[in-house]
Amino acid sequence: MDLFYAAILCYCLGVVTLALPRKLQAKAHYVANILSAVGSGLVLWEAGRLLLNNDSWLGLRWGAYSLVCDGWSAIFLVMTGLAGVITSIYALDYAKAYFGHRLRFLGSMWNMFLLSMVLVLLAGDALSFLLFWEIMAVASFMLVNHEAEIKTTWNAAYQYFVMTSIGTAAIMIAFLLTSTASASFSFTDLAQNTLTGGWATAVFVTAFIGFALKAGLVPLHVWLPNAHPAAPSHVSALMSGVMLKIALYGFGRFMFDFLPVWNYWWAVLVMVLGLLSAFLGVLYAQMETDIKRILAYSSVENMGIIFAAFGCGMLLKVVTDSNWCQIAFLAALLHACNHSIMKVLMFMSAGSIMHGTGSKNLELFGGLARKMPTTALCTFIGSMALAALPLTNGFVGEWMALQGFITLSHQGAAGQDIRLLSALAFILLGLTGALALGCFVRFFGITFLGRARSELVGRAHESGIFMRTAMCCSSILVLALGIYPAPLIKLLCNSLHISEYLILGNNERLLWGGSGSFASYNALLLFVLLAVLGSIVYFLVIARGKFVRREITWNCGTIPTARQQYSATGFSKPVRRGFDYLLKPKRQVTYVRKDHSYFGRLMSYKLEIPDMVTELLYIPLQQHFVRISAFLRRMQQGSVRLYVSYVMAAMVLALVWGAIYK
Amino acid sequence: MEYLVVALLFIVLLQTRIMDLRRGIICLSVQSALIAAACLIVGTAHGGGLHGFLPGVLTILVKVIFIPYAILRVVRQLTDEREIISDINVNYSTAVAAGSLCLSYMVFDSLLPSVEERDILASSMFMIMTGLALIVMRSRAIMQMIGLITLENGIYLFGLIMTEGLPMIIELGIFLDVLIAVVILVILTSRLRLSFKTTDTNVLKKLKG
Repeated sequence: MDLFYAAILCYCLGVVTLALPRKLQAKAHYVANILSAVGSGLVLWEAGRLLLNNDSWLGLRWGAYSLVCDGWSAIFLVMTGLAGVITSIYALDYAKAYFGHRLRFLGSMWNMFLLSMVLVLLAGDALSFLLFWEIMAVASFMLVNHEAEIKTTWNAAYQYFVMTSIGTAAIMIAFLLTSTASASFSFTDLAQNTLTGGWATAVFVTAFIGFALKAGLVPLHVWLPNAHPAAPSHVSALMSGVMLKIALYGFGRFMFDFLPVWNYWWAVLVMVLGLLSAFLGVLYAQMETDIKRILAYSSVENMGIIFAAFGCGMLLKVVTDSNWCQIAFLAALLHACNHSIMKVLMFMSAGSIMHGTGSKNLELFGGLARKMPTTALCTFIGSMALAALPLTNGFVGEWMALQGFITLSHQGAAGQDIRLLSALAFILLGLTGALALGCFVRFFGITFLGRARSELVGRAHESGIFMRTAMCCSSILVLALGIYPAPLIKLLCNSLHISEYLILGNNERLLWGGSGSFASYNALLLFVLLAVLGSIVYFLVIARGKFVRREITWNCGTIPTARQQYSATGFSKPVRRGFDYLLKPKRQVTYVRKDHSYFGRLMSYKLEIPDMVTELLYIPLQQHFVRISAFLRRMQQGSVRLYVSYVMAAMVLALVWGAIYK
Repeated sequence: MEYLVVALLFIVLLQTRIMDLRRGIICLSVQSALIAAACLIVGTAHGGGLHGFLPGVLTILVKVIFIPYAILRVVRQLTDEREIISDINVNYSTAVAAGSLCLSYMVFDSLLPSVEERDILASSMFMIMTGLALIVMRSRAIMQMIGLITLENGIYLFGLIMTEGLPMIIELGIFLDVLIAVVILVILTSRLRLSFKTTDTNVLKKLKG
């Protein structure tokens, strides 16, 4: 019955492996990761069972603290459990690379991180939610900071910690404001709060800031592209795949339970920020050459899509007050689930590439498919999913999000502004999809196809059996949920308590009837059609050897070299040109020396794309703070007598003030 | 009591004029003795007994004998005994003391009009402010300690008059507090002398990062 307790026990035992002696660190590593895999499996099983039976769980109640699990948290527990199992299996191989480098600490913190995420989702009151939320932040900080010898890692980890503390502060304010209008801190009491007007808005704003920061929405995303590459790959997989979704969980908890009446502009704010994040995230992802930074920016993009869909749902609810909003909420949740699976897969692939080559610089790869066939196949499937191509689960969520926007634009009650907004949503989502496609074609093509760009590729090797198993499991899930999404959608309907006449996820079709018109996407039928067509083409044309001639690439009479291929930077050049006004790239060409016998000069080319938000928002803010502190520094001269004179002045002023206005 | 107040005002004003460390300490001792006398007067006025006399006796032991003795021991190790380096003229500190005397009378006339112990309350406030002024305007560590104890005496007198005898445990706490503060200050002053060859606190500015 209480499998959650067993899971928590597993995680706790995993944390305790830290106490094993140093001689046993390899064993401690295996024990810790197997325990975390078992614990996550139990969480997955129990949460899945609750969700299937449309049940809820009322666990431990100790004073003001309680653990509960309802539909909304169960679906996130399913995500956590699934990602936890897969990444723990992956870590069995991957984390071995840290042998001798605080391996036991890594295993222990890994369990702590999973434990804290599960407990955040199970928390039934504000205090334990905040406590576990903070433990989650600390554990993930420790994991990001694992390679603390590297300066950039250390910087990224501290930036992450500062940002996440700001977020926690905002969430704390939100909870405290809500609790002032409720009987106690437990979620059931908080749900019956009496917040009105300005206070409700204050709660919304603080909660949105806090959770958007954790989710990495655009003005608050700056920690994310630094923290993800710094962390070990299985950690980034879990952070991106699950931790960002927990922000959605918290936001949903506030929106559905604590603030049932929404303002019009709240919804618009969530939707617009989501769309901006989606667009800017993918634009920066296209520009990066660090594979894990690409994936981190892609997380910004996908969280943006999720929040845009969520905002669309809020807007539908505000404008029409009908059940049509459910399609958008369903889209947000579905895309969250799918993104969790595919981002875990892609971070594992990136880890596998790093494990094989020892680098994460896209410019140094090329032709890795021959050396790492399994990784290549899995990355291909993951890239398809992140580029939202049909037959993968990445498409299903975005398709539903688009259905939500269409429904929004068709509402009779909606004014011109909403129509304009949904048009904007269409344009930005379309642009995002196209850019994502370009981004992941580049990611896959530059890494796995073509010829080797450096000698790293020659030394590359395929990763171990556990890593491959984990990646294959994820890839199969990506395809299975892309071709046959109906069971997952049923689960999500249970989670959101949606009656099924609106969304007919029965059997294989995904049908949506909004505003009297019907849209349906049948992935299974599409798959069968494509399979039949593909095999016909294959057997009739390709297998017979027609149209295939093997020749040497014609290169104006010279022998082609690897340097003449598209580089990663070169591939994204057209987009960089197109969005010059947004990206503001800083190009620097220097003539190093004049010694080449034919071409005259050796040049060095440096390209830098500063993050727009950092440049426009954070750096001025930082300068402002430095200026204020320079002023304060003038007051703080280091002279004790000066400080005592401040005390004296304060005392005299207080006395005089008291004597005058007694 | 009135004579006591006059003597106290006189001795505190004298304190602001003194540059010599040794004389400053003797002056402090006399000041503390006056406080002890006030303490004993208040104690006898409220019935005497152990609780009436213990604070006065403790004041004599701690503030009249022990603390001046401890500071004098430090002074004996110093070679330059006068506050020569002071960048602020003594006359200014006397002027500040006079100003604070006026201020404290004004404050108490406004806050507690026609209160019985007007003079003694005002003089305690005067001692607090003069003590602070001494800390601010003297640069030698010993003189600042003297300022701190003057301030402390003022606070103690104020508490004594306002509450007409504090609870025993609080009085003991206050004495322990002062004792430890002075012990630490004496140690710090010795360290200062060892490290910088002077007790001028201006050198501490160098420690700022």
